[in-house]
Amino acid sequence: MADLSVEICGIRFRNPVWTASGCYGYGREFAPLYPLSDLGAICVKGTSVEPWLGNKGTRVVETPGGMLNAIGLQNPGVEHFLNVDWPWLREQGATVIVNIVGRTVDEYVEVARRLEGSGVAAVELNISCPNVKEGGLAFGTSVSGAAGVTAAVRKATSLPLMVKLSPNVTNIVEMARAVEDAGADAVTVINTLLGMAIDIRRRKPVLGNMFGGLSGPAVKPVALRMVWQVAGAVKIPVVGIGGIMTGEDAVEFLMAGARAVQVGTACFVDPWAPIKIVDGIRAFMEEQGVGRVDGLVGAARPAVGAEGNLPPIGTSTGKAEGLSYAPGQAGEAGQAGRVPPAAQAVKPKPTVTNETGEALRQFLKDSDRA
Amino acid sequence: MVAHEGRADVFKLVVKAPEIARRAVAGQFVQVRCAPAGSSSVDPLLRRPFSICEIRPSDGVLSMIYRVVGRGTRALSTLGPGAALDLMGPLGHSFPDPAAGQGPLVLVGGGLGIPPMVAAAEWAVAAGRTTLGMVGARTASYLAGADELMATGVPVTIVTDDGSVGARALVTTPLGHRLEAGLVGEVWACGPEPMLAAVKAACATYGVPCFVSVERHMACGFGACIGCTVPKAGQAGFYKACQDGPVFPAEEVELGG
Repeated sequence: MADLSVEICGIRFRNPVWTASGCYGYGREFAPLYPLSDLGAICVKGTSVEPWLGNKGTRVVETPGGMLNAIGLQNPGVEHFLNVDWPWLREQGATVIVNIVGRTVDEYVEVARRLEGSGVAAVELNISCPNVKEGGLAFGTSVSGAAGVTAAVRKATSLPLMVKLSPNVTNIVEMARAVEDAGADAVTVINTLLGMAIDIRRRKPVLGNMFGGLSGPAVKPVALRMVWQVAGAVKIPVVGIGGIMTGEDAVEFLMAGARAVQVGTACFVDPWAPIKIVDGIRAFMEEQGVGRVDGLVGAARPAVGAEGNLPPIGTSTGKAEGLSYAPGQAGEAGQAGRVPPAAQAVKPKPTVTNETGEALRQFLKDSDRA
Repeated sequence: MVAHEGRADVFKLVVKAPEIARRAVAGQFVQVRCAPAGSSSVDPLLRRPFSICEIRPSDGVLSMIYRVVGRGTRALSTLGPGAALDLMGPLGHSFPDPAAGQGPLVLVGGGLGIPPMVAAAEWAVAAGRTTLGMVGARTASYLAGADELMATGVPVTIVTDDGSVGARALVTTPLGHRLEAGLVGEVWACGPEPMLAAVKAACATYGVPCFVSVERHMACGFGACIGCTVPKAGQAGFYKACQDGPVFPAEEVELGG
């Protein structure tokens, strides 16, 4: 039986397939379809101190092999998350990573501070959203901005700290190294690429925000290249994201050096996509006789020492004492190692608390082939 | 797919989808992949939202009418009647229960807003509600769904911008006359947003309840992406067209146009 569990930032995740921030809401639309605990983790919608309303006008448009979005980080704020969404997600047995957004360094710090002690698995700094005027990308495109916000949040939280990097930079390796030096425990590579579309009949940009973030299969080769570069340049784990639609796509990212992957746009096309991707990775491992998913990480890279400084596969960079994970000591079932409470996923009873979710479950259960 | 026929750039898609046909209610929509079922093609990528035109639970069949406006609908339009399609639905909120409303119900459809009025008319007729249709389009070829609407047995007034069928007028003209005459109990409308805004304003003038079905670009269609927003009327913030709509009480949304 293939062991898909992975250990990142001292936390053991059930599998390396996480849902990407902004593409899975807070999980409510998907919970009626399958247990959220079947996912490696859920990176929830970018969460700010106060509620954000998001952008006006057209927010999404399809482009060849992908889509542009200019949502503008609409979210109900961290208090709502803590009072409403997090208790519910916890009941589902979900492992949750909170994506943090802010207009100022202080706002990032404040969100992280309020999440302290909540039991969420980790925080992921969104310093790369192209859709907000202040904050977001402003922090993600300069080395000093990225390092500054990372260092400030690092001081404010004991939670594992991930930083989601922007591809909209000249040198992503430099950015990755800067946030690593500033205290990041992991990096997510990549956020969306800045793009646009024009409605030629109306003679104006399609998106209300003019520019938006490009995601989907169209960005996959770029994302994969950046994961490869960053994984070769930093010691902290890299989580790969960008256009992953299938298990094979995910394996490419793992082989490039990612320890886990995030699935975003695919969730819009097929709400079961993350589960199918887990199954696809497992099938590939069985076909290839790979017992542990760690065995795929960096598999396409030259031997260590021959190129870059990709950390030895399976080594821990977890900082929390006692949570370190020693490869080879895990039992055959792969469940050895200490598991922090957040990741002790208890199989939830599939409860339906959401009307639309219930409707969706019914509709999708036998989604018709016409 | 049972049948798929088009005139110029307007196509009618008839599919066998028993589960959706059994559950669907007028005003709801389906998300259609514009590629044969099982295809691993990623372009076009997203599903396309289509309102449901006819619902036949006993045959397990439903129909949709769409216009070729981009790459997705163009790809879909090339698929033959034998192809298997991947549909997700029914999604969103329907029109309100016609049995619950008061007075004559007027169904207003503009262009591709006409097809959902067919299912609406069938529902209203089945509920015993006095119902009539008022439809309009730029020109005759964009009146798709008007034949199906007339087939439901409700009286239908047709207008076109160019006078190619019916009077040369906007659909709000005959609606205005009826409202003024006090012959309208409730209005359901679907069509271009300037039309919806005008219908909303006319109904508000006469204090007649109005429900509008809005159209938006969508990514997921089930609430996850927050891409298909509709501004709330009188307060900050947005509804999601897919989850909170696509049918809204007109007074709750701010309509462009």
